[in-house]
Amino acid sequence: MEKKLEDLQILVNNLTYHYPDGTIALKGVNLNIYSGEIVGIMGKNGAGKSTLIKTFNGLLKPTTGVVYIENDEVNNVLMSKLTKKVGIVFQNPDLQLFANTVEDEIRFSLKNLNFTKIELENQISLTLEKFKLKKFQNRTPFTLSGGEKKRLAIASIMCRNPEIIVFDEPTIGQDAEGVKFIRNLIKEKHSEGKTIIIVTHDIEFAIDNIPRTILMADGLIIADGPTNKILSQDQILNIGYLISPQLIILSKFLIDLKIKVPEDVYIKENMVQFLGSYFKDKMGITEGGKP
Amino acid sequence: MNLIEFQNFCFRYDHSEDFVLKDININIDSGKFILMCGITGSGKTSLVRAMNGLIPQFYHGEIKGNVLVKGKNTKNVPTSTLSRDVGLVFQNPENQLIAMNVEREIAFGPENIGVPWDEMDSRIKECIKITDIEHLRKKAPFEISGGEQQRVAIASILALQPEIIIFDEPTSLLDPKSAIQILNLLKKILLEKKVSTIIVIEHRLDIVLPLADEIILVDKGRILEQGEAHNVINGEKFLNSGVNIPKCVSVFQQLMNQNIFSGKLPISIEETKNLINSIK
Amino acid sequence: MEAFKFIQKKTIIHILDPRTKLLLAIIYSILAIIFEEIFILFFVFLSLFPFILAGQLFKKWIKSIRGMTFLFLLLIIFNTLFSTFSRSISMIIRIMIMVSSFSLFFLTVHPDDLMLSLLSLKVPYNIAFSFSLSFRFVPTIAIEAQNIIDAQKSRGYEMEQGGLISQARNLIPLLIPLIVCSLKRAFHIAESLDSRAFGSTKNRTYYYSIKYAKKDWLLTIILISLFIFGVIVKIFPEFLPTWFYWKLKV
Repeated sequence: MEKKLEDLQILVNNLTYHYPDGTIALKGVNLNIYSGEIVGIMGKNGAGKSTLIKTFNGLLKPTTGVVYIENDEVNNVLMSKLTKKVGIVFQNPDLQLFANTVEDEIRFSLKNLNFTKIELENQISLTLEKFKLKKFQNRTPFTLSGGEKKRLAIASIMCRNPEIIVFDEPTIGQDAEGVKFIRNLIKEKHSEGKTIIIVTHDIEFAIDNIPRTILMADGLIIADGPTNKILSQDQILNIGYLISPQLIILSKFLIDLKIKVPEDVYIKENMVQFLGSYFKDKMGITEGGKP
Repeated sequence: MNLIEFQNFCFRYDHSEDFVLKDININIDSGKFILMCGITGSGKTSLVRAMNGLIPQFYHGEIKGNVLVKGKNTKNVPTSTLSRDVGLVFQNPENQLIAMNVEREIAFGPENIGVPWDEMDSRIKECIKITDIEHLRKKAPFEISGGEQQRVAIASILALQPEIIIFDEPTSLLDPKSAIQILNLLKKILLEKKVSTIIVIEHRLDIVLPLADEIILVDKGRILEQGEAHNVINGEKFLNSGVNIPKCVSVFQQLMNQNIFSGKLPISIEETKNLINSIK
Repeated sequence: MEAFKFIQKKTIIHILDPRTKLLLAIIYSILAIIFEEIFILFFVFLSLFPFILAGQLFKKWIKSIRGMTFLFLLLIIFNTLFSTFSRSISMIIRIMIMVSSFSLFFLTVHPDDLMLSLLSLKVPYNIAFSFSLSFRFVPTIAIEAQNIIDAQKSRGYEMEQGGLISQARNLIPLLIPLIVCSLKRAFHIAESLDSRAFGSTKNRTYYYSIKYAKKDWLLTIILISLFIFGVIVKIFPEFLPTWFYWKLKV
C-alpha cells in the first residue's frame, strides 16, 4: 500500500515518557502510522510497548515530545475525544467486566457518546448480534466462559466504533478457533478502512496477519519494516527476544541448500505449493500419484 | 511403575451442571516429557488439578472413580502432602511467588515440610544452580522479569523434590525466546533426572512439540488420545482437534492430502529439514 | 502508603532486630500519648532524628510528613475551635512522633522478618504468614488497580463530578473488577500454597532466623530507661525545670 501524507493518522515525534517512580519507559520514539494500516508492535516485556499505546488514547501524557492522533495533539484534547478515536482492547477481560448483564456491559461503553435512546438500543443490539452474544444478553458477564468473556471485552470496545483499534496480546492462551476469530475480526476491520495496531509476542500470528512490524527495545524503536523481514534478521530477533516463525526458518534452510525459493514461501499456502512442485520434481511423480 | 493412575475418574464442580472430566483412564509413568493439549475449556486444567488432589480437596464436587498418586488415593491424602510427589507450576508466576526475595521463596516449600537447615541450604543452592538464577538470589519478585519469575517458581517447586512436575501453560505470558528457554529448562531438569516425569500444558505447540515424548489429547472432558508424540500428531483426532497445529506439520499434512507426501509428519523444524534432505 | 513500604538497605537501623524496632515504636508512642507539654513532646520528637538519619530515611520521612499536611490543618482548625491552639500544636507533634516511629519500623523491617518477629511473639504461624503475604501483594494489587482504571477509561469511563452518591456509584466499574480479580488471585495463591506443602506438618523449619544481638540489647536498655524516666516525670512533674511546662497562651 502506498503511504500518502494526507493519510498520516498517528504521528509520534521524539516521545519520551517517565513514570512517576522514575522509570524511563520511552526514550525518544518516532513513528508514523497511516490510515488503514495493520501494524504489529513487538519486543520483550518492559520494552515500552504498553506505554507507547497508552499515549495514543490519552491514558498517559507524553513527558516530552508530541503524539498526534489525526489533527489532535494528545496534550491539547480531552481524553474523551481520544478514547472515541482510539479503542484499546486489553488482554485480560476481567479487568473491565462489572455490569449486571452482558447488555449493560455494552451500554456502559456507549454511555458518553451522545447517542439518542433509539440509536443506543440499536447499537447495543447490533453489537450483541455481531459478536454472537445475543443469547447471553441478560446473563451476568461473570458466568461466561473465558472465550465468551474475551469476545464481550472486544465487543465493548468495537461498539464504540473507533477509527484506530489497538489489540494488546489478542492471541494469548487462544486455541485455533480463538485465533481464527481474532484474525477474521482484524480482516473485517481492515476492510472497513480502520487502522489496526497489534501488540503481540505471537510470531506465527504476526507473520500471517500483520504486514508491518515495529520492534521496540529499551524504550526505543529499533526496527520498523515488513514483518517477514523483521522476523528473519538474527540481530533483530536477538534484541527483541524473538525467534523466527517456522516457515522462515524453513525457507532459509532451503536457500542454504542452494534451492531457489520464491520470496513469499513464509506464507503457508505458498510453501505448500512450492514444496509440492519441488517434491514432484525430485521424485518424478505425476499428478495424483504417490512416490 | 505408574506414578499417577486414573481409574474411571469423573468430576463435576459443585457450581456447574456438567461433568468436566469424564471416564478418565490414564497412567502417567516415569521418564517422560508429556505434553497435554486440547482446546480452551476441554478440561486440561481440571485434569491437572485432579493429579495433586486440588480436585477434590480444594475444588469440591461430585466424583466417580479414583486417582492414585504413587498408590495414594487423592481423596484421602491432603494436597499439601501430595505436593512432595507432585509439584504444580501455574501460568502466572506473579500469583505463586509469595516471599519478598528469591532465596526465601525457594526455602518456603522445604520449610513447610520441616527440612533441617543444612539440607534446606543445600537444596536451595542446587535449585538456584539448575535454574540459573544465582544473580537474582536477593531480588524481590516484582524486580525481575516474567521469564525470571517463572524460573524462580520452578526452583521453588524443585526444592520440594517431587517426582512429577506439572506445568499449566508456563510460558503463555512470555516472549518467544524466554518461552523456549523455559521449556528447554524443563527438558534439562528431566534429562538430569531431577524429576521423573514432566507434564506440560501448552498452546504454542510449535515450540513445545519438539520436546515432547508423549502427548495426551483432551477434548470435552475426555481423553481423546494418549501416546507417543509422533503417533499422536499423525492421527486424525489430533489434526482435527482444534489445537494450534504448527506450520511445519500443517504444510506436510496438506502435501499428504494432495498425495504428494506420505510418511510421518515432521514434529519439529529439525525433522522437517531431515525430511527435505532425504528427498534431495 | 509510601511511608510504610520497606526499602532494602544496609544501615545499622536495618540490621537491628525487628523486635527492638517494634519496642522503639511502642515506647515512643506511649510517651507521645502520656505527655501533652509541647516542649517535652518536642524533645521526644527530636530524639527520633538520629534513628531516621542513621537509617538513611530522611527523604522518605519528609514525604510522609508532608503527606499529612491536610490532617495537620484539620487538627489546628478543630482544636483551636473546640480547645486551644496550644493543644493543637501538641497534637501535631504527638502524631508526628507516632507516625515517624512506626514508619521507621515498617521502612526498615523486611516483611518476611516481620513474620518472624510476630512468630517470636507467639503469634500463630498462619496469622503471621497472612500478615506478611498481604505486604507482598500490596504492589501487585496496586498495579492491577491501575490496569483496571486504564481499561475502563479506554471505554469512555469518566470520573464524574457530582454528589456523594453519584460519585460512589461511579466507583462501581472500578471496584467490581478489582474485587473479582483479587478473589481470583486469592484462589490462585491458595492453590499454589497447597501445592507447595503449606501446612503439611506442624514441625515447620525456618531458613532465616532473627537474633537479638548486643546492639539490640543495648538499645533495648536505653529505650526502657527512657520509658521509666518518662513515667517518673509524668508522676513527679517537679523533676523537670518549670520551663518545660510552658504553654502557648492561646
